[in-house]
Amino acid sequence: MKCVIGGAHLRGTRAAAGSDLSGLCGRNGRPRAGCLRAVRLNGHQGVCAEKGKMFGRAIHAIARISDEFWFDPLEKGLALRSVNSSRSAYAYVFFSSMFFQHYCWTALPQPRQKEKQLSPPCKVIIKSVLPVFRCVNVLERNVEKCSIYTNINDHHITFQLLCKHGVVKTYNLTFQECDPLQAVFAKHMCPNVLKVHSRLLADIVIHFPTSQEEVTLSVTPMKVCFKSYTEEDTDFSKTMLTEVQLNPDEFDYFQVGVDSEVTFCLKELRGLLAFSEATSVPVSIHFDISGNLETHTEKAGNASMDKDSSTQANASKKPQRNGKTPSAEPAKPASPLVKQERKVIPGATEGDTTGVEGTTTAHAALAGESHYEKFHSLFFGAVSCKEDAVSHTFHSLATASDSEEDFGNVPSSPVV
Amino acid sequence: MRFRAKIVDLACLNHFSRVINTIAKLAKTCTLRLTVSKLYFILSDKVANGGVGMWCELNQGNFFDEFQMEGVDAEHNEIYLELMPENLSRALKTAQNANAVKMKLTNKHCPCLRVAVELPSLSSSSRIVTHDIPVGVIPRRLWNDFREPSVPDFDVSIYLPVLKTMKSVVDRMKNLSNSIMIEANLSGEMNLKIETDLVCVTTHFKDLGNPSWALEDGCQSSQDRDPESMAEARIDIRKLQQLLAGQQVNPTKALCNIVSKRVVHFILLHEDVSLQYFIPALT
Repeated sequence: MKCVIGGAHLRGTRAAAGSDLSGLCGRNGRPRAGCLRAVRLNGHQGVCAEKGKMFGRAIHAIARISDEFWFDPLEKGLALRSVNSSRSAYAYVFFSSMFFQHYCWTALPQPRQKEKQLSPPCKVIIKSVLPVFRCVNVLERNVEKCSIYTNINDHHITFQLLCKHGVVKTYNLTFQECDPLQAVFAKHMCPNVLKVHSRLLADIVIHFPTSQEEVTLSVTPMKVCFKSYTEEDTDFSKTMLTEVQLNPDEFDYFQVGVDSEVTFCLKELRGLLAFSEATSVPVSIHFDISGNLETHTEKAGNASMDKDSSTQANASKKPQRNGKTPSAEPAKPASPLVKQERKVIPGATEGDTTGVEGTTTAHAALAGESHYEKFHSLFFGAVSCKEDAVSHTFHSLATASDSEEDFGNVPSSPVV
Repeated sequence: MRFRAKIVDLACLNHFSRVINTIAKLAKTCTLRLTVSKLYFILSDKVANGGVGMWCELNQGNFFDEFQMEGVDAEHNEIYLELMPENLSRALKTAQNANAVKMKLTNKHCPCLRVAVELPSLSSSSRIVTHDIPVGVIPRRLWNDFREPSVPDFDVSIYLPVLKTMKSVVDRMKNLSNSIMIEANLSGEMNLKIETDLVCVTTHFKDLGNPSWALEDGCQSSQDRDPESMAEARIDIRKLQQLLAGQQVNPTKALCNIVSKRVVHFILLHEDVSLQYFIPALT
């Protein structure tokens, strides 16, 4: 299961020309349209309860981003995506087929062989799905099996919960076809990486009031600081400001290549944290000054969860390097890497580095914009947690570009 | 003007937090008066506050390990600050396992009470959480507004019933009516009454006991009052409910003084905190 939430200026929905969609493509290189026949979450009582719970929690986490989400069955697993209304936050949860007891995906015949046509995923209103997984704890106790069927032709998704005592709950939801949604992030190019247990993040976040919308994360090689976001015109006489300072020692892994400050939406992070706490996984945060903050959580062994947060960074005036040279020049926000579009760079999970296609990070939308606007988003991902499953590749978010010229000097990227 | 204080003992911190939580439930904004030996949380009974008055007094020595205060000048060695107790309550909420809590008056962008909480952490140095609570400094010419209210010339003074019981009664009555009648006599009887078009509900309390007050001139109060005669006042039920909801610990002494048709004066005494609350009668 992989779960990615990210954002900031998502553009375009068409696949990059010539992009390599290995694993997801048919022979002619185009991705196959999918129709999810049946997905069963539960099998044995003990194991499935956890999975049902996890699925439910993923839905809840996505619900914090937006009111609707993309339900995208792929050959390798089920992808759920969502983006917030300002297109500044993006959520992506990927459940590999191994997560399910039974996963049956049928390719639909392609009606038209359009060059860049991906199969349209379905868009579902979250409010309709939430009741299915409303009370996650109850789910754990009462539901023996959960099945999900989709029928592309009559635009229906069916969730069927087989509960105790022979009770069967069936939810038929309609979906709309829509453009695919993707986002891009260059995790491996981030100069700053923090790894910590999700418990620590939760302990930090608790000091901020629930009404606090944005939080700034500021790092130097000597300390890490989370503080309430303030602007130049903040009325300090009316606002209570909170700041949490931590020693780098508290992190399991601490790498700061560039003094940076990134601002992100706390509400979205809380959604992530609720999700990751349930699975009790470590979180890693990748970010750079251009404002991409990615939090990536990884479960030791088979499961891993990635959280990516993309936020706008206010480049620090005096960057100090600690020897790990970042790829982006902090003093020049309009670096050659910066372009109008954002590309995906598949990162790798901790224990399983698959071939990472070379791609470029484009943060133009962020860096090019003035400092007065903030963009925040969260990326997070989680990898399938089947007991004996091998960790799957962490696919980062992929954004397809609108315009052709941006691809001119940029290597193509896999689309997830 | 300078103010620095530190709490190290967890029990003291917990107690202080509870006091602040109580205050936060009673007033959105209030005045904090600092003297060398005491802290006061004051709500003056202006119309803006709905005529409600509050006076809460703490001995700083019972809470703080360190307490340094320098007032506006030598003659007036006090500080009056306006703040939202909810902010302070929030800052202390997540500090309950702290190694130390320090408070300081600062003036970075504007006057603030800076609460710095040192939390234990797995690393070599503590985790520090800082909250900057904006405060308003009240100039000396306005200090007269915040004098200690005098005990009114009451008709009846009576000990309150167990607050938890009283609270549950008032909570239920609140659903039926906006105002509640409190009446009591010198025989230790108190009634809580609500009256609507459809229903009247009265809860009777007996054997509560009446405190004896020694007046300044040495006379006992109200000696010639008929012990069965009830003094009554109709007050806003929400204000009474707020007072009762804010009590987190049973006070050592809880009593109220009723001035018929004018005001009800509540006094709640704990070991190191005293709280007085005035609710005016509805006209």
